Amino acid sequence: MKKVFGMLLFMALVAVFAPGAQGQVIVIANNSVKAADVSKSDLKDGSHVTPVLLKSGAANDEFLSAYVGKSDTAFKASWRSLVFSGQATMPKSFDSDAAVVEYVSHTAGAIGYISKGTPHDGVKTLAVR
Amino acid sequence: MKRFLVALGVLFLAVGTARAQSLDDLNIQIHGYATQGFAYTTNNNILTMKSSDGSPQWTDAVVNVTAQPTSKLRVGVQARYMILGNLGNAITLDWAAVDYKVNDAFGVRFGKVKTPSGLFNETQDIDPSYMWSLLPQGVYPLMSRNSLLSHYGGVVYGTVKLGQSLGKLEYRGWAGGRNLPGDDGYFLNQSESGETLPNGISWVLTGEALHWKAPVSGLMIGASNTQYRSASAPLLYGPYSGAENLSVFNSPSYFAKYEKNKVMVGGEYIRLLVPYAVALTGLPVNPGVLDERSWYGMASYKVTDKLMIGLYDSQSVDHKASLGAARDSMDWAISGRYDFNQYLYAKAEEHILHGTLVGYDITLNPAGLQPNTDMTIFKVGVSF
Repeated sequence: MKKVFGMLLFMALVAVFAPGAQGQVIVIANNSVKAADVSKSDLKDGSHVTPVLLKSGAANDEFLSAYVGKSDTAFKASWRSLVFSGQATMPKSFDSDAAVVEYVSHTAGAIGYISKGTPHDGVKTLAVR
Repeated sequence: MKRFLVALGVLFLAVGTARAQSLDDLNIQIHGYATQGFAYTTNNNILTMKSSDGSPQWTDAVVNVTAQPTSKLRVGVQARYMILGNLGNAITLDWAAVDYKVNDAFGVRFGKVKTPSGLFNETQDIDPSYMWSLLPQGVYPLMSRNSLLSHYGGVVYGTVKLGQSLGKLEYRGWAGGRNLPGDDGYFLNQSESGETLPNGISWVLTGEALHWKAPVSGLMIGASNTQYRSASAPLLYGPYSGAENLSVFNSPSYFAKYEKNKVMVGGEYIRLLVPYAVALTGLPVNPGVLDERSWYGMASYKVTDKLMIGLYDSQSVDHKASLGAARDSMDWAISGRYDFNQYLYAKAEEHILHGTLVGYDITLNPAGLQPNTDMTIFKVGVSF
């Protein structure tokens, strides 16, 4: 079943705008995603973007810090507010970059972030403006 | 409990209509949290706790189950077990709703839904989401939280972009019904005086809220109002019976919040103007008006990724009440929160309270209320 995840745009945007993250994190997207880039404001707002996350690690910390402006704890706390209010579900998260690539490559509309240098065949990369 | 089981049934029925999908496709998630608080007060007992002796009767446990069969459809249910002094000690249904989001500009949810009024009404019960152990009680009374948190009916919501120079406007509209049970905190002193509402009071209500997310990053200014239709409820007072009648009233709220980097500043003003009349057979009708105006200003600062500190000043005044300590309530609070990790946190808070309008009852203060009380709170919470 195909699902449209504009939410993953969130991650792409964050990755692009975060200073310091440019060298460590890249944003990837399913080949069905038409956008070639994303904006940081959409990513930061998250109102129509549900990110696919790494559960932990340097890439996750850098991504959140640089693009969302929150620590991992604060980010998950803000999502829990939405979950416990019935306004959202927690974003999908994965244990490894490879798992993120696997999910993004097989999910229409999906966008994610991975450590630079991670093999990412089958997905496209997005620039953040 | 019965409503909770019905809600679960609705949840699984809605999920089941997604037909042949794997559990992973349905994105079924289970979350929860639990908190344990301890309160000590120097003079009066507060919030139905024997707090002057130190009281641990402050426990919350929540379980939340959600499923997202499609990108636009989400269903969920949340149940709570709460003890607050002499209140609670039962499993209640926080919300059970189906949410369909057409696009950013329009979405709808219905069932038992959280009421999106004010700054904190939708999140007042989510202790892990904010730093305070106790929200300003004049605006978010803990003893009535379960009743005021949600309503049966629906909410429509959406975001309208106003352009880069004007920001965004988030709107919410709601309609439905709400019941305050006879043992709700609002009626505590009334019932301890001998007047009881065996069925509580039920209202039909409508409401609306606008949140302007200004082009200045982090600034939100908003307003909301809930209109309560007239209501009448059976009332018992000793050998007498009759009704408590409430006229139509509004509950407007004006609020703002600014969050930037490590700083948060916020405030809210709310007014409750409620004309009522107590009509007991054989006695003259006793009319009255409640005109309670409450406000708070708060600020917090993130010292480190794990440590946050904050303070607030809150005041409530019943402009129709007689002069004296029972006419108002003032609360200076200073607070700290430490997040050990993403699951476990602790809070500590000190309140300097003047006035007795909010939070006190007669039974636990038989010698009468002192005008001033200091309260110390410690709380531990875990969420997943």
